[in-house]
Amino acid sequence: MTYSDREILVLTIAVTVGVLALITLAIVLNKAWREAREAFDRRRRAALEPEVFRYAGAAEARSIREYLPLPLTPRDRAIVEAILLDVAGLLKGASRERIATACEALGLAAEAIDGLGARRWWRRAEAAEKLGVMGSKQAVEPLVAALKDPSDEVRMRAARALGRIRGRTSIRPLVQALSDPSRWSAIRLAEILIGAGDDAVDELLQAFDGLPAHARVSALDVLGRIRTPRAADLLRRSIRDPDADVRARAAHAMGLLADPGFAGALMGALADEAWAVRAMAAKAIGRLGAQAAIPVLAERMSDREWWVRSNAGDALRALGPAGREALIRTLDAADTYARHQAVAQLEEGGIIDEYVADLASADAARRVAAIAFVEKVIALGRVDRLSHQAVEHTQEGVRRKLLEILKAVPEGAS
Amino acid sequence: MKAARVLLAESDPVARRFVAGLLRQQGHEVDEAADGEAALRAARERRPHLIVLETVLPGRDGGEVLEALKADAATRRIPVLVLSVRSREEDVVRGLEIGAEDYVTKPFHTQELLLRVRKILARTT
Repeated sequence: MTYSDREILVLTIAVTVGVLALITLAIVLNKAWREAREAFDRRRRAALEPEVFRYAGAAEARSIREYLPLPLTPRDRAIVEAILLDVAGLLKGASRERIATACEALGLAAEAIDGLGARRWWRRAEAAEKLGVMGSKQAVEPLVAALKDPSDEVRMRAARALGRIRGRTSIRPLVQALSDPSRWSAIRLAEILIGAGDDAVDELLQAFDGLPAHARVSALDVLGRIRTPRAADLLRRSIRDPDADVRARAAHAMGLLADPGFAGALMGALADEAWAVRAMAAKAIGRLGAQAAIPVLAERMSDREWWVRSNAGDALRALGPAGREALIRTLDAADTYARHQAVAQLEEGGIIDEYVADLASADAARRVAAIAFVEKVIALGRVDRLSHQAVEHTQEGVRRKLLEILKAVPEGAS
Repeated sequence: MKAARVLLAESDPVARRFVAGLLRQQGHEVDEAADGEAALRAARERRPHLIVLETVLPGRDGGEVLEALKADAATRRIPVLVLSVRSREEDVVRGLEIGAEDYVTKPFHTQELLLRVRKILARTT
């Protein structure tokens, strides 16, 4: 039997329309099914949530099982788990521990622990994430094992989960992981340890001497950022460590702790052979507000490394009027780099603007001092700010005087 | 302790329902607001005995809401307990400076929050 072209065309159109109609029907039915499920979940959540909240907010020892209609259907279990995980983020202390206890009592923690052995990496990652939010101590050992997972994402989520669960048994493997930079991002590990706060401090202090140098650097970074005074002795020792990176990080951490008792050690570190240590020490001294360090900081303005000069200048600026005077005196230093750094700092601190404003002062002594200062800056060839002020300053008298000096003094004369 | 009328300004629905539930369990009548404007409106209309305020709110930020409450003669005397995810020292200091009666950071202990609510209400009602 043969078909005409017209019949073939009609048949093709009919089949196409039929297929499209079926696809449309499938999409509509699927959407309706999803919406019905979502509506059902919303209703179930509305029914279960008050009971879970009542449990979470209570101070009594009754189990979550006494609050819920047992046995839970698989759908209700998933909804109760979602509610517990949602509310876990709001709570801490004993209230938070009740969430962990509920997850254990309902078998949710055990299910997530099983999930750490799933074949798909994203299922293992999801399980690790959940266990961290649940905060169940039952999960510590399986999560420690997951730190050796072949997937980066699973390892990192297991680490984050351990950081959330806290306790020394959770933190210890994270501190040890600092020693293995090939498998871990030191920055992300450090963030996790910082989040663990005091629990991390104990473990870091205890493990510190056994760590390799690069891990000691990360450990000092964490201790500094947690700002724990308990690290003070370790920092004093570490600023004399044979490794320059360790010394630099110790100096930086001292600045974060801002304990005035570190001033002597930091002033000594300003003479360190490694420029990174000198730079970090200068920055830290600025944070400490150590006035006694002004003469040594002024010396560092002539350091051969730009970072040291810049941080010494920042520190002098942070040290108030005495530091500012030291910066002004540095304009007469023998070293060109020191003079230029001083101008940059005086400009950033608004001190150049203050002198410029004094050019029209009614006080003759201030006018004279301002003229001498401005001439000195022009002689150093740093005229950008002055030229700007000569055009933009709000006082006509200042603009006129500044233009006059700019024309009279040869730029870059010194 | 007397039951009080409490206005809870919180944009996160889970947090709002949870804290509202906690307060209701204590016998308080709770009005809920999900943004800054609604919180201000409810404060003026309902004159609650206490406002529990999250500083991170859509539209008008919680800090602005607190300032507006303290600037308005009709709401100035209503004590405000800030319950916020903003936990930096400067955030707490600013909140107390603007006029918050107390400042609790999230995550929080439920019993501590309820105790602070109780103390404020005992002092002010």
